[in-house]
Amino acid sequence: MLDLPAPDMAVLARRGAIVRALRTIVPDGVISDEATLTAYDGDALTAYRQRPMVCVLPQTTEQVSALLAYAAAENIRVVPRGAGTSLSGGSLPLADGILLGLSRMTKVLEVDYENRCAVVQPGVTNASVTRAVQAAGFYYAPDPSSQIACSIGGNVAENSGGIHCLKYGLTTQNLMGVELVLINGERIRLGGKHAGDGGLDLLSVVCGSEGLLGVVTEATLRILPKAQATRTLLIAYDSVRKAGETVAAIIAAGIIPAALEFMDRPCIATVEAFCAPGYPPDAEAILIAEVDGMDSEAEDEARRIGKIAKANGATSVRECASDEERARAWSGRKAAFGAMGRLTPDMLCMDGTIPRKALADVLERIAEFAIKYRLGCCNVFHAGDGNLHPLIVFDCMKEGELERAEAFGADILKLCVEMGGVLTGEHGVGVEKKALMGEMFSDTDLAQQERLKCAFDSAYLLNPGKVFPSLHACVELGHMHVRDGRMPFANLPRM
Amino acid sequence: MQRIATASEIGIADAVRHAAETKTPLEIVSGGTKRKFGRPVAAETMLDVSAITGIVKYEPEELVITARAATPLAEIEAVLATKKQTLGFAPTDWGPLFGEPKGKATLAGIVATNASGARRVKAGAARDHVIGCRFVNGRGEAIKAGGFVIKNVTGFDLPKLMCGAFGTLGVLTELTLRVTPAPPRVSTLALRTSPQEGLRALREAAKLSLDPTGLAYIPDVFDPDETEGGTGGGLALIRVEGSHAPLEDKLARLTARFAGLDTIVLDDDTTRILFRDIGDGKFLLSRNCDIWRLCVPQSDAHAAVEASGARFWYADWAGGLLWLGLPASEETATQLRFITKKFGGHATLMRGDAAARARLPVFEPEAPARATLTRSVKHAFDPETIFNPGRMYKDL
Repeated sequence: MLDLPAPDMAVLARRGAIVRALRTIVPDGVISDEATLTAYDGDALTAYRQRPMVCVLPQTTEQVSALLAYAAAENIRVVPRGAGTSLSGGSLPLADGILLGLSRMTKVLEVDYENRCAVVQPGVTNASVTRAVQAAGFYYAPDPSSQIACSIGGNVAENSGGIHCLKYGLTTQNLMGVELVLINGERIRLGGKHAGDGGLDLLSVVCGSEGLLGVVTEATLRILPKAQATRTLLIAYDSVRKAGETVAAIIAAGIIPAALEFMDRPCIATVEAFCAPGYPPDAEAILIAEVDGMDSEAEDEARRIGKIAKANGATSVRECASDEERARAWSGRKAAFGAMGRLTPDMLCMDGTIPRKALADVLERIAEFAIKYRLGCCNVFHAGDGNLHPLIVFDCMKEGELERAEAFGADILKLCVEMGGVLTGEHGVGVEKKALMGEMFSDTDLAQQERLKCAFDSAYLLNPGKVFPSLHACVELGHMHVRDGRMPFANLPRM
Repeated sequence: MQRIATASEIGIADAVRHAAETKTPLEIVSGGTKRKFGRPVAAETMLDVSAITGIVKYEPEELVITARAATPLAEIEAVLATKKQTLGFAPTDWGPLFGEPKGKATLAGIVATNASGARRVKAGAARDHVIGCRFVNGRGEAIKAGGFVIKNVTGFDLPKLMCGAFGTLGVLTELTLRVTPAPPRVSTLALRTSPQEGLRALREAAKLSLDPTGLAYIPDVFDPDETEGGTGGGLALIRVEGSHAPLEDKLARLTARFAGLDTIVLDDDTTRILFRDIGDGKFLLSRNCDIWRLCVPQSDAHAAVEASGARFWYADWAGGLLWLGLPASEETATQLRFITKKFGGHATLMRGDAAARARLPVFEPEAPARATLTRSVKHAFDPETIFNPGRMYKDL
């Protein structure tokens, strides 16, 4: 199944020399023995494994710059890696590639409350950004469920979302600037502590570029003052459709909840057995709705959501009375992935986004797919922004189950696109969904995106084999090398 | 000037393909209200896309609207208003700054210039709201990018790259934007104080969890009651939103925080007009002066204003955006770029005569490695350099 570029034998033949050269750049951070390299043979898309040729763990931007310049000069492929929590195989290594791990660059370089931002290195975990600023009453808004482990470098590469992004945006809305090292080793700055950028908004394409355009060595993140009040409602339904209708009605009433999460019956049962968050046991679906703001604001919105839920047929509406109760309600949602993991050897976590109105229809079709493929599936869902996370459970060791699980997943994603949605809301394309890109984009659309890749990395050395269904040589796409800042034939009369 | 007008994406693709084959540069014009923003375009042929109009799809419950690129902003705002929704970045109407009529801005022009108003301080810029688009690239190919849902990371985020690219990367034909519920009520606490204290007050207000949606400072030179030269006082304006009770709470907290200062609460109508004027650059409009926009870290706003020497200026985005009434001259350009070098940020010549805009670097000059990358990116979209040549940089 693994469809990655064929290893470059000429590179593999030079492995010894390459390892020695890398040791001169990062003396204490080169891993080349096979046993240790095995620890780096994949990420959270566990179905795929590939040991890298060598792994390098730099500690400074200078080292990143030197080793990318070396890789470019020697024509060696490079796969950047944050904490290795990608669910789409974004940091899956290459057999002939350098795995560039940023996990030792873990400094919070500066917290600037006057400009409400934090400057951090890429290996800093998502949760530790908030930890660094919470004593002063601030937090970092994007909160992917893996936030205790996932790193900011990875968050920028994947444009990570989380539970609160309907109201507070994805990483791209909370990223003010980066220092980026290009494949030739050159360092550039995009954005910063100021608003926007003078020229083309290159930051916007770097964020979410899945390690194909450059390596982020520093990020400036927006931090927000913590809301005065937060209120959380646990709402139960005897039908999935009624939950879906409530979601639409809340938005139509002009309320943007801080979070609005959906779980179906199989998911509720699984997490209840795992960590007993206290969800209503007989519900077909539950919504967790969270609002924040001023005391009066949160109170008002919570009351209105409760009313809307009841009008749309909720069987119970319960407000969490304390911080402990709120934490318990969220523990089930945040542990959904782990809880499923206890019941099954393997799982695939899908990530399509759909228009909210299609929720009930899509869930019915997913239930049909589950029967067709003879596999279990439970659904957790960022209902507020239409981002679905069906978890498909299977056992790799059983003949044909991986193939069935992948076909099941592909059907779900095709359905999302058919309903007017997209293949991935926050996990990225990686290796997992690249074969499906044609469902959303024409060859012409994809060629345009690849040309952007060529503008940053014309030799296709950074994370090749990810995102795009097929590899084109940049010259084939009409790429022309720009040297010393001049357009080709700059002096050609054009009138 | 030769003019090609077309009302369809296919028509645009044909025109662009022909232009690419014959290496004919095109000036892309939608509403045409901001043609004097940026360097003069080196093109004898205008590609008029103003007929590509109409709302394609508006689904209030999905918080998304799709419209053909040249749809007038006024039309979009009117449709959104029927469902009590709005574009969260408060798009600006800069036409009058360039001697064009009010209310003629189009969606494509707003996006191409990333024209974002006072709400940016809370809600982000146009680029944060554009989630999908269709455009014709420099090869004459129609391209789709992004999607129709807010949460989407499928492929590179090309729709955002189009924002603020001044039409140098593609001809936009359709845009999909996220929309936001319109605030039920807005109000402003105005503090009368010096520029330094006022700008500090804006940053203090931003640190409170009140979600202010406007943080501006207007010096007293614009105050009709003040004598020439001013008194060193001016107005720090803190705008908040919400339904009745939360709004009153927010104003009460602000008033308590700034107790001891001379404060006044501005009502809903005044607030809306005032902050629209701030975004539209209206305070400098009547001054008949050249205009620069300087973006620096908010905490350096006061030092940046002092260093600029501007007498007529005002601040938006908590000081992160400074509107400066300064001449379009080499001296100003040098001084402002000295400031951006010192503090970080960028300066843009917003209004100046054609000769000055041709002569001066209108946009912040880029460091060499970045400049090379910008040119590679341009080439990836427009290999023959036919879209708005010279608009952003002389050779691009």
